[in-house]
Amino acid sequence: MKMNKSYFNVLAVLLLSFVLVFAAAGCTQPGTAPEQEDGANGESAGSVVVKLGTVGPLTGGAATYGTSVRNGVKIAVDEFNDNEEAPGIFLELVSEDSEGDWSKAANAFSKLIDQDKVDVIVGAVLSSETEAGGPIVKSAKVPTISPSSTSTGLTLDNPYLFRNCLSDEVQASQLAEYAVEELGLGKFAILYTNNDYGVALKNAFEETANSLGEVLAVEAFMDNDENFKPQLTSIQQKDPEAIFVAGYYTEAAKIAQQAVEQGLEVQFLGADGFYSPVLVEIGGDTVEGAIFTAGFHSGDESPTVQNFVNTYEELFGEEPDMFAAQAYDAARIVIEAIKSKGTTSEQIREGLAETKDFPGITGNTSIDEEGDTIKDVLILKVTDGVFERIR
Amino acid sequence: MISAYYLQIIILAGINIIMAASLNLITGFTGQLSIGHAAFMSIGAYSSALATLALGFPFLPSLLFGAFVAAFFGVLVGVPTLKLKGDYLAIATLGFGEIVRIVFLNLEITGGAVGLRGIPKNTTLLWVIVAVLLTLFVLNRILNSRVGRALIAIREDETAAESMGINTTYFKTLAFGVGAFFAGIGGGLFSHYFRYIHPGSFGFMRSIEHLCMVVLGGLGNMWGSVLGAVALTTIPEFLRASADYRQLFYGAILVIMMRVRPQGLIGERMAGKSFSLGDSILKKLSITKKTGF
Repeated sequence: MKMNKSYFNVLAVLLLSFVLVFAAAGCTQPGTAPEQEDGANGESAGSVVVKLGTVGPLTGGAATYGTSVRNGVKIAVDEFNDNEEAPGIFLELVSEDSEGDWSKAANAFSKLIDQDKVDVIVGAVLSSETEAGGPIVKSAKVPTISPSSTSTGLTLDNPYLFRNCLSDEVQASQLAEYAVEELGLGKFAILYTNNDYGVALKNAFEETANSLGEVLAVEAFMDNDENFKPQLTSIQQKDPEAIFVAGYYTEAAKIAQQAVEQGLEVQFLGADGFYSPVLVEIGGDTVEGAIFTAGFHSGDESPTVQNFVNTYEELFGEEPDMFAAQAYDAARIVIEAIKSKGTTSEQIREGLAETKDFPGITGNTSIDEEGDTIKDVLILKVTDGVFERIR
Repeated sequence: MISAYYLQIIILAGINIIMAASLNLITGFTGQLSIGHAAFMSIGAYSSALATLALGFPFLPSLLFGAFVAAFFGVLVGVPTLKLKGDYLAIATLGFGEIVRIVFLNLEITGGAVGLRGIPKNTTLLWVIVAVLLTLFVLNRILNSRVGRALIAIREDETAAESMGINTTYFKTLAFGVGAFFAGIGGGLFSHYFRYIHPGSFGFMRSIEHLCMVVLGGLGNMWGSVLGAVALTTIPEFLRASADYRQLFYGAILVIMMRVRPQGLIGERMAGKSFSLGDSILKKLSITKKTGF
């Protein structure tokens, strides 16, 4: 008994000391912070450093998305600094890894806000990550713009949270309209990936398609699934004219392949999850003719898009994807806010909220009163193995 | 004042101590390899969050509600899998973990794939410290009682324990139930801290992380779990400075640790050598008085 008690005391002391060590480490921080604060607020001082953080998966299964986002933001930041777009203001980029796990994304958000004292954040990438970061940026009053989190209602009741991406609802319902009105399709089947992205797309598409035409079958699959024959077989029995695949390019390509193997002749429809060269690499001929919505088209001939595509290829040795483009635009929107309003978090927030008709590489972008984006939806078609814009 | 970032890491470390200590009861002391501990955590997280949101419970009752629901499922898993040992049990618990994750991914009431948002932020540092101390205290009392001896006897040799009159079925179920109970508390603290939960954070990797904490700290030693949990919570944060190489260093640290100290940071008190399930029951029983804390 005695033995146990003394162990317990030691334990309590140990726990307390951990608390104290952290507290001590925490105390050193405010000491360094005021200098930066002064820098950020003192407009009269020679140069102002604005710290811009990014949060996203740089490791783990979703690392390609997070890396693209970081790269896209980096190009925008470098451009701003190199061209001295706003003399006296210097942007500093700090990128943190979320591992694709929302609770780790929350750590990354806290670290950026408390340690690095960032003034604005571009992130996070996955919807669940941004959901977890939402309460943190709200209480810390740090404006945050996600380049890719599409989940429904994400920015509601949070004046500090914005996003720059097509909402799932908008693209799915516009695609359904297009399919019925322009393509003359009427009988649909839906195959969706069972995550927030797939579910939101499915719901919106189903609603619009049912009002204009008919949805005959709805089947689910999981990310990283390999075999879609069971779902395709049951879809085949309903004999639809088109299959809407609410998911990402890898699965979409495999679905197209297996559908063709099964002798299913339908029009493939998809959303921005299709946008990757991998779709054609894996799918080959089977994805030829597939039609999908997107927020970005790298084949666009406008000089801003081509400039971005070339810079990206030069720096990172690959074609930019939709994540990179949306992140670049998100960072550009932040830069516009800094230019028009000022360099403090509060001023940047005001600037973001007032964004109107920003001419981005992902189309004209405005931000509504909820912090959501209003932008054009492009419709692309796979033609001879490349994406061609049809609307 | 502690900065919010450090506070968050301390709170996470506290929650992880609860998770590792409760898993240590099942795996380190009772010898039942479980790699589905995150499932109990998620059950606690979701049920307590729903108790707060849908039923309007105050914080403490919803925490306890989550813990009891988790304990119920702990017993539920314990019963059918009792006949399994070692690898087989590990696979069964792995399967259970995946089932729970997929159920939460598809249930309407848990927000499905979108997750559950708007949970009030009730978890404070004080709550976590109290919960950690209570967890360690209760586990300590259990392990230093007749029950604890029975659990360790089961770990050392189930047949011998049975022949000595220990009801192995009962005690194994009890270990799962108690372990799940505290995991449920950890989950409740987790959901009421982040204010948002999503099944994605309670997958296989989270269970492995808990197991790593237990093994790294030392199987069958509660101090080890405390140290392992604190180490594995803080190391990835310290490593943020190394940016892209973070996971690489993290992995390397784990490998080196296991190479240098296979028995864990602290290891079982008396055992000078690595922990092994096959050691003779008599040898261990003669020194179990020192086991635990």
